[in-house]
This record gives sequence, C-alpha cells and structure tokens, in this order.
Amino acid sequence: MGTKTRRELPLHLMIVPGLIFIILFSYVPMAGIAIAFQKFIPAKGLFGDQQWIGWENFSYVLQLPSFTQVLLNTLLISSFKLILGLLVPLVFAILLNEVKNAVLKRTVQTTIYLPYFLSWVVLGGILIDILSPSGGIVNGLLVSLGLPKIFFLGDNNWFPFTLVGSDVWKNFGYGTIVYLAAITGIDPGLYEAATIDGANRWRKVWHITLPGMRMVIVLLSVLSLGQLLNAGFDQVFNLYSPQVYESGDILDTFVYRIGLLDAQYGVATAVGFFKSIVSLILISASYFFAYHFAKYRIF
Amino acid sequence: MGHSFNSTKTRQARKLEWFPIVNTIVLVLVAILCIFPLIHIIAISFSSSSAAAAGQVRLWPVDFTLASYEYTASRGEFWQSMWVSIKRLALGTPLNLLLTIMVAYPLSKESNALRFRLVYAWAFFLTMLFNGGLIPWYVTLKEYGLLNTIWALVLPGAVPVFSIILLLNFFREVPKELEEAALIDGAGQWTTLWKIYVPISKPALATLALFAMVEHWNSWFDGLILMGNPDNYPLQSYIQTIVIQQNLSNVSRDELLNLALISDRTLKASQIFLGSLPIIMAYPFLQKYFVKGIVLGSVKG
Amino acid sequence: MEMQKIRGKGLKGIMIFLITALALTACTSGENGKPENEAKPSATTGSNNSGGNSGTNEGAEDGPFVKYDPPIEVSFVRHLSDVVENNVLGVLKDETLENNRWTRVYEEELGIKIVNDWVVKGDITSDQYLQKINVTLASGDLPDFIPVNATQLKQLADSGQIEDVTELYNKYASPALKEALLQEGSSPFDAVTLDGKLMAIPMVEASIERSMFIWIRTDWMKKLGLQPPKTMADVLAISKAFTEKDPDGNGQPDTFGLGFTKSLWGGAMGLEGFMAGYNAFPNIWVEDASGGLVYGSVQPEVRTALQALQAMSKGGQVDPEFGIKDGSKVSELIAGGKIGMQYGEQWNSIYPLQLNKNVDTNAQWQAFPIVTESGDMAKIPLKFSTARFYAVKKGVEHPEALIKLFNMHLEKIWGETGDFGYYFAPPEAESVWQLSPVTPYPLKKNVEAFRAIDAARKAGDMSTLTGEAKTIQEKMESYYSGSKEGFAVWGWERIYSEEGSMGITDQYDKNNQFLLEKFVGAPTPTMVERKATLEKLQNEVFVKIILGDPIETFDKFVEDWKKLGGEQITKEVNEWYASTK
Repeated sequence: MGTKTRRELPLHLMIVPGLIFIILFSYVPMAGIAIAFQKFIPAKGLFGDQQWIGWENFSYVLQLPSFTQVLLNTLLISSFKLILGLLVPLVFAILLNEVKNAVLKRTVQTTIYLPYFLSWVVLGGILIDILSPSGGIVNGLLVSLGLPKIFFLGDNNWFPFTLVGSDVWKNFGYGTIVYLAAITGIDPGLYEAATIDGANRWRKVWHITLPGMRMVIVLLSVLSLGQLLNAGFDQVFNLYSPQVYESGDILDTFVYRIGLLDAQYGVATAVGFFKSIVSLILISASYFFAYHFAKYRIF
Repeated sequence: MGHSFNSTKTRQARKLEWFPIVNTIVLVLVAILCIFPLIHIIAISFSSSSAAAAGQVRLWPVDFTLASYEYTASRGEFWQSMWVSIKRLALGTPLNLLLTIMVAYPLSKESNALRFRLVYAWAFFLTMLFNGGLIPWYVTLKEYGLLNTIWALVLPGAVPVFSIILLLNFFREVPKELEEAALIDGAGQWTTLWKIYVPISKPALATLALFAMVEHWNSWFDGLILMGNPDNYPLQSYIQTIVIQQNLSNVSRDELLNLALISDRTLKASQIFLGSLPIIMAYPFLQKYFVKGIVLGSVKG
Repeated sequence: MEMQKIRGKGLKGIMIFLITALALTACTSGENGKPENEAKPSATTGSNNSGGNSGTNEGAEDGPFVKYDPPIEVSFVRHLSDVVENNVLGVLKDETLENNRWTRVYEEELGIKIVNDWVVKGDITSDQYLQKINVTLASGDLPDFIPVNATQLKQLADSGQIEDVTELYNKYASPALKEALLQEGSSPFDAVTLDGKLMAIPMVEASIERSMFIWIRTDWMKKLGLQPPKTMADVLAISKAFTEKDPDGNGQPDTFGLGFTKSLWGGAMGLEGFMAGYNAFPNIWVEDASGGLVYGSVQPEVRTALQALQAMSKGGQVDPEFGIKDGSKVSELIAGGKIGMQYGEQWNSIYPLQLNKNVDTNAQWQAFPIVTESGDMAKIPLKFSTARFYAVKKGVEHPEALIKLFNMHLEKIWGETGDFGYYFAPPEAESVWQLSPVTPYPLKKNVEAFRAIDAARKAGDMSTLTGEAKTIQEKMESYYSGSKEGFAVWGWERIYSEEGSMGITDQYDKNNQFLLEKFVGAPTPTMVERKATLEKLQNEVFVKIILGDPIETFDKFVEDWKKLGGEQITKEVNEWYASTK
C-alpha cells in the first residue's frame, strides 16, 4: 500500500493547481446561475435584494410566439453543422495525408486555415457580394452551368444551408488540425507492412488511418454534441435579415434581441442554463454509451 | 482475392496514377476558395478609399496606395494593443500548456491508479458546460482585483478543458511498456511525465499550443469588458470596436463624424490584415512538429 | 446675431453673478482662453489636503459657478469613440481623456477634478458600452455621476441608489442651461421625472436634428429634365425615371429609384420620410383624434405607403436584394452611382453621399422637403432622441457639482466668457467638445447657425459671423475655393448653403411642421417583454410586403400585433401619458 500511495500522491498534487484554477474562475462565478431564477435587476447588485421567481424566466421564453420555430431552426442548422463540421475536416485530413509533395501539403494546409481568422462581420460583407443573384460569381457559375439563380441569403429555403455551408467553409481548415495530429501519431511501420502485403490506398485508409484516428473521431463527436443548441450567434447575427427570420432566427439571436431592450439577464441566464442541461444530458448519454458498449472512457 | 497477382498490380498502378492528380486538383481548388476572402481584404487595404467605398475592388487593388498602411503604422493605439496581445500570448500559452499537461497526465491513468479520477474528470468537464453568465464572472474577477491587469486575460482561461481531454486521450496511446521501463529505472511520476510522455506527444502538444495561441490572440470580448482603459486592450478588442456593423437607426450628432471615419474600408482592411498576420504565421512554424514517425523515433531513442 | 440675442439676457445675469459672488480667477482673458497661467496661483493655495471633505465654500453663498476650495474629486465612467481617439487625441498630442482642456477648465475654474472609473472604447450606443454600464451597476461600484438609459435609471431609482436632484437643479442650474435644455419643450425632463421627482439630468439631444428630407441626385434630375417633387406622385415619377431612363448613361438598366436598407428605418437610407408622405408614422407613438396615444406602425396609412413601395419594387425601382443589405452595403450602391434618391436626415451629405461625390465628382445631391400625396405640407415625425441621463449616486458629497459642470460646459462654448474656437471645434480637432463628460448644448444651435449664415449671406457681409456659424462658413468657403481639402467638406456645403438641408429644417420649424414622438418614458412592462417580438414581426412583414407578399398580410399583422401584446402596450402607454398631464 505504501508504494502505491507514494506512486499516487504526485498525481493528486499535479491536479491541484488546475483544480484551484477552475474552482476560482469557473465554480465561484457559476453560483451566478441563481440569476436564472430571479427577476434580476443589475442596479440592485449581484447580492442585492433580487426577486426570486422560480421557473418564470424559463416559461416566459417557452411561451414567446416564435419560440418553437426558433428552436427548430437552431436544431436544424446546428445538427447539419455538427455532422459536416466533423466529416469535412476528417476527409480533408485524409486527403492531405495522401499528398506526397511536402511543399504542396504545407501550402494547402496553411491556406485552408485562413478563413478561420476572419470575423463574421468581415465575411458577411464579402458573402453578400459573392452570393448575390445579380452580380455574384457563384450565381454566375450556376447560370453558366444552365442552373437557375439562387438567392442564397434571401431565400428561406436556402438560407439555413447557406449558413451551414459558409460555416463549414470557414472552420474546416482549422478543424483538420486535430485530425492531422492524430494521423501523425500512427506508427508508419503499419503502412510499410500493409504495402508489403499489397494493400491499396483505400484499404490502408480504411484499415490503418481511420482506426488510428478512432479515438479522436469519437471524442470530437461526443464533445460536439454539447454544441447542439449553439447554431452560431456571430454568423447568424451578421448574415440574417428580416427576410429570412423565419428560417434563420436561432435561440441566441432571439435571446439577444429580447435582452437588448432591457438587459434581461435573468432570461439570458435561464436560456444558457437550459442549453447547458441539454448538453449535459446528450454528452453524459453518449459518454456512458461509449463506456458500456466499447469500454472506452472519453475522459 | 480471386484476382491474379498480375491484375491486382495493374489496377493498382492505374489508380496510383489518377488519384494523386485528382486529389491535388481538388485540394488546390479548395485552397483557392479559402484564400479568396483574405486576398480580397488585402486588395481593399491597398486601394483608394473611394474605390473601396463604391465596391469596385475585387481581387486586385484599384488606385494602388499605401495610405491605409501609413495611417495604421502611425497609430500608437494599434501597436500598443498589439503589444498587449503579445504579452497575453507569451504569458497565457505556456501557462495553458503547463496546466494542460499536469492535469491530463494523472487523468490519463486508470481509475485504480488514481483514486477519485472520475470525480476529477467530471469536475473539469462540467466547467465546459456551465457558466454563470457575464455579471457573476465580472464581479468575481473584480473581487479578485484582476480588472484592468493583464492577468484578467490570462488567468481565468488558464485551464483549457477541451485540450486536457484531447491530451489525456493522446497520453493513453503511449505504450505502457515505456512507463514500466521508467518505473524500473526508479523514475517518479514527475520524471516519467517530462522525460517520456511530453517528448513523445510533440505533435499533440504543438496542436494544443496552436489552439491556445489562437484562442488568446482572437479573444476580444474579455478585453472590452475587463479592461478599464483602451490602453490595455488586446489587439482583437481594439479591432472589434472598428469593424462593428453600422447601426443607422439612431445616429447622434457626435457619432456622425465617427460614421464617416468608420466607413473607410481601407483602414479597416489594413488593420484586420495586420492584426491577423502574426497568428496566421504561427501555423506554418508549428508544422515542423507534425512529422510522422516521432512516436517510433522516441521509442527507439 | 439672433443666437447671441436670445442668450444675452441670461448671460449678463450670470456674468454679474460670476464677478461679484466669486473670487474666481478673474475673467479668463477671452482671446485664447488657455487658462493654465491664470490658474496657477489658485492651484497652489489649494494645498491638496485630504480631498476636502468638510464644507467647501467659506462665507460666499454657493451658486451655479462657485468654485470648490479646496478642490473636490468626482468620478465618471466614459466612452471613447473612434472620432475622439483619432481626430482629437490623435491630433492634440499633449491631451488625454484624463487631462485635457476641459478637465483643466473644470479643475481650475470650478475646483472639480474629474477621474474616470473606467473608459470603454466605442459609441454610447454600442453593445460593449451598454454591457459595461450594466456590469458596473451590478457590481455595485457606481461612479459619482452615472450616465444611464431610461431603463437603468428606473432600476436605480427603484432601488434607492440615486439622489433626487429636483432641488439641486432648481438651485444650481444656470439660467442659460435651463433655457438651452428646454428649447424643445419639457419632454426630456418628463422622461426622468419619476413620482414627481427629478431623478437625473437629461443629456438632451435635439429632436429637430432628426428631421427627414428627400435627398435626390440633382445632376440626374437635370439630365432627365425633371423638376423637384411637389407631391408623392412626383417622387414616384422621379424614382421611375431614375430607374428606366438610364440616368448614368451607360446603356445598362442598372440604376434604382429609391434606396433603403434591410432594417427599413434609420437616419440615412430609411423609410420614415417616405411614409410621412402618406401621413404614416411608423415606430413612434402619436396622438389620435381623441387625444390618446396610438402606435404609428399599425395605422392604415402605413398600408397605403407599403402598397406604393411594393409597386416600386415590382417596377424594378428598388434593389431586389435590399432585404439582406445593411447601411454599409446600400451606401456602396450609392457611392457607385446606382441609386438616385434616398430619405434621411440633414447630415446625409456627409455620410453616405460624400462617398458618391468622391467617386464621381459630377454627382450632385440636394435635400428637398418631404412631400405628401395631396401636396399639403407634410408633418415631419421627430423621434425622441434623448437617450442618456446623468444620475447622481446616493450620498455623494457634492451632488450639485454635476450641475456646475453642465453650467460650465455651456458657458465655455456659448457663453460670454466662452471661446468657441478653443473649446468646441478648433479646426484641427473638431470634436474637442467631446472630451468633456457632460456636453449640453442649445438644442437649436445648428438651425440657429444656419439662420446666422443665411442672414449674413443676404446682407452680403460674412465678417459678422461668430462661433459655430463662422466655422461652418469657413468650411463652405473652403469648398467654393475648389481646393482638395474643400472638396472633402462638400457635405457641409450641402447642409448649410442656400439650398442646404438646414434651410429646410428652418422652414419646417417656422411652419410648425414637426410631429413629436409622444411617448418618452422608460419602456413599460409589456414593452420589455414583447417589444423585440413585435419589432421582428413588423419588419419581417413589411419587408415581405415590399417584396411582393399580398397587402392583406398587413391586416393580419395588425391583428397579430394587437394579440401579441400590442394592445396591452397601448394601454400602458396611455396610462403613462395620462400621468404626465
């Protein structure tokens, strides 16, 4: 027992600094979730005489006329983003890994990561130009292919997909980085052995590369489930308009507009809390699912 | 399987010929699609304000001029805030990495090697999901006396839980034999971590370092709220105040000139470009750690 | 000048007061007003002894301009706009937001030292400013003088954290201040009077500046042989001609008659002025025949106006993509010479129209008065534009210091001891006045400046101009000289010349055409809950109708609006209205 404890104690000590940090900077302010159950008035102060109203903030949001529609929009947009946001970077990491020319590989790798660094305010202006039905290059391309013009940002049938597409485009380059790191972790000896066995490219990807990335894929999938109610405030806020409210208004823009007039922090906190609970349920479920069936603990 | 040796070989040869070409073409096309907006911004930054205002600039500068760069270069505030960002990055990234490594290592152990492992893991994980919102966060940091100091930008985000979860999974992939060998040599946990786990995880650590740097460089909201003086703004907070969407619904008299100023797109463009240049350069630099065979190499060495 | 005359009486009173009641640093010597030298003696006598907690004025009775001795310290919170950072502090290298010509005046002439608890970069309407104020309120760390909006003010008052300033205002406000702030009636004060008590000093903004005009490209009109509009039919005809008769002469049907943004409303590229032509006044509360308040957006006149817009849109006179374009995108079209007409406020020539002028030097724009269907004089809707109020933290040692600062600001610019050229808008740093935390001004100053210039113009003698009028006249002369700097101030010439927008404001004012927004209180409970929802509904429906949805959608909107809280809001607004009478 003595040896085991001596072996274990340093591990606990290593965690302590991190633990102190999250207690100080995450758990202490987390007490503020109480605001979700208050009619919070900033001027009365955080510890002031706020009025407790139970679940009223929650029911208030639920009964707002367009809540259902907003929730559906959020789920639709974010689930597409979630799936493509996992798949596209994965495919690109594998394609990049197949490139033998180091210069080309690095250049492409760096280039596709560029859009990540431009904010949505800036990209919004650019997208309006390139997606314009009258003079944009995308529609020019569609017309030259004999297809009808599409009002990507103004047509309710297309707008959610415009959001998904542009989001994937902005972020996939950055997303490939983790996958690439996972690929580098794969033992090159496995590929050599497979080549000797006469395995083709596809087989190597299927039997070596993908299994080698399994851990990262599962992990990112589970963690991204926590984002199911985040459809991307910054993006939507900068791209939507009254014309596409019906298909593009999401939970976060909705709450933003409600809060704007009167600093309704109670409502905003309630919605945040609701989102956290949903994320917790989804992630816990998949955590235990993974453990139960694959004996794999995500963390 | 059922094919003769010969036919497999010819099929493979044919595939080898067309796949790399198609792959290259696809990747290059996508890369062009991704570089387009940045080129557009660079083109605007080198154009005359009036051409930019009329939306005449596409991918090449119109009425080439360096005016916007001269102006930006002359702005003390711009360089001051870039300096704040550099300080933040220099303090924040090592701290993030250190804490990530120190937390991820114990958590990568099996539950029987570390009591309360699950409790720890969930304690860290839950901070990813729950937060008390803007006001409690602000008041807490105020009580700690961090407002208006560089530490307000560094300490609250010092424990990147997402990175910890990634790294602990990478650590789990490290062959157990290595650790056992070290144990026999009499190495403690601390030595095992730094001499075996850290060197072997360089690609993962390079990735996490990049994430930490990008996160620090791009954050703007905390700077705006926590700094009591624009002199202490990091660069992205500063840039955020000039690229906001224009709201014409209630322009008051003192905002009028502001509007005319803000509408100068060439200035915005040059500051956006210069502001993201340092962090964009970070990636190619870190790429050298993304080399295959590191795992194998260190096992041998 | 007229402006001087109006204020002369009050100022004389103040001057006598100043000279007799105070041992002030004499009158700062008029010409350059740099008070550093004169102030030195008093600064040394002040002997910084523990911030002056005891009674301040020995013997002399306290008044609007009485100096604190020893000096006191008061705290503010500030915002730093881009224009101040670039065009003021960027130019005046030895001045900062903490130490500048204004803080020195306050310190040396009033014994008030200003400190800033924090400074946030951005406009006062920006999100970050709003949030910064809210976290400050929540953390309980209030500055002595707190700039708040109506909602925040109500919250502070309800929780008893601020002083009732009724008495203080009556006692300390200088006659000039009282007059300046009341030039447009008592609404700003109604807005901050809670339970009969004045809970803050309004930072009154002039509603008159919100007047709407039709801005038209006159070079296009001339080219197509069109006359200035007299009725809405003329406006529609101009729009049609601008669309169909190829005003830019490039042989392409690529121009639009009327420009507006996806948000529909606003001080530039908005539709308020267009709607006013149909006697429709969306977004504001107006009095109906029975004397009660009704919401403009749900009145039948709006339906008519929307129908007209729909017809224009069908005729290709409106950018079919307007529904996704914000102000900066639409101004891109204006700058590129694609739009020939837009509705907006007097300053539109500075932004966005100057952008067009920069690209195409032959372009010419002019403001015209709003016209109506019948050709009768239009009513000009004026939004209530005072959105910020200074409250005083409870228990502050010298609550009246705030009012003294207000007095001093007004005096230093428009008063007799003032120096307009130094404290308001020196040519090298035009927004210098914004360095002061409080910035009251005579509400009609811009239209007065126009009147002064116009009178001088008619008399043929510009040498009589002083103050702001003089500065503006210099700008216009610079434009007429044809110089490069002059070209950049074309926008000013379009405001203050004979055919300028301010001349029309002057006419509006003289003809009593203004229709003031009647609801100026803090948002009512149902408004807080439902305004965002109702606004979304309104703008969605309006945009879609313009783009071709059947006009009957409007009737359904009115129904929905009432059901979703509009009816309740109307009731609350009318209760508030009754309480102010």
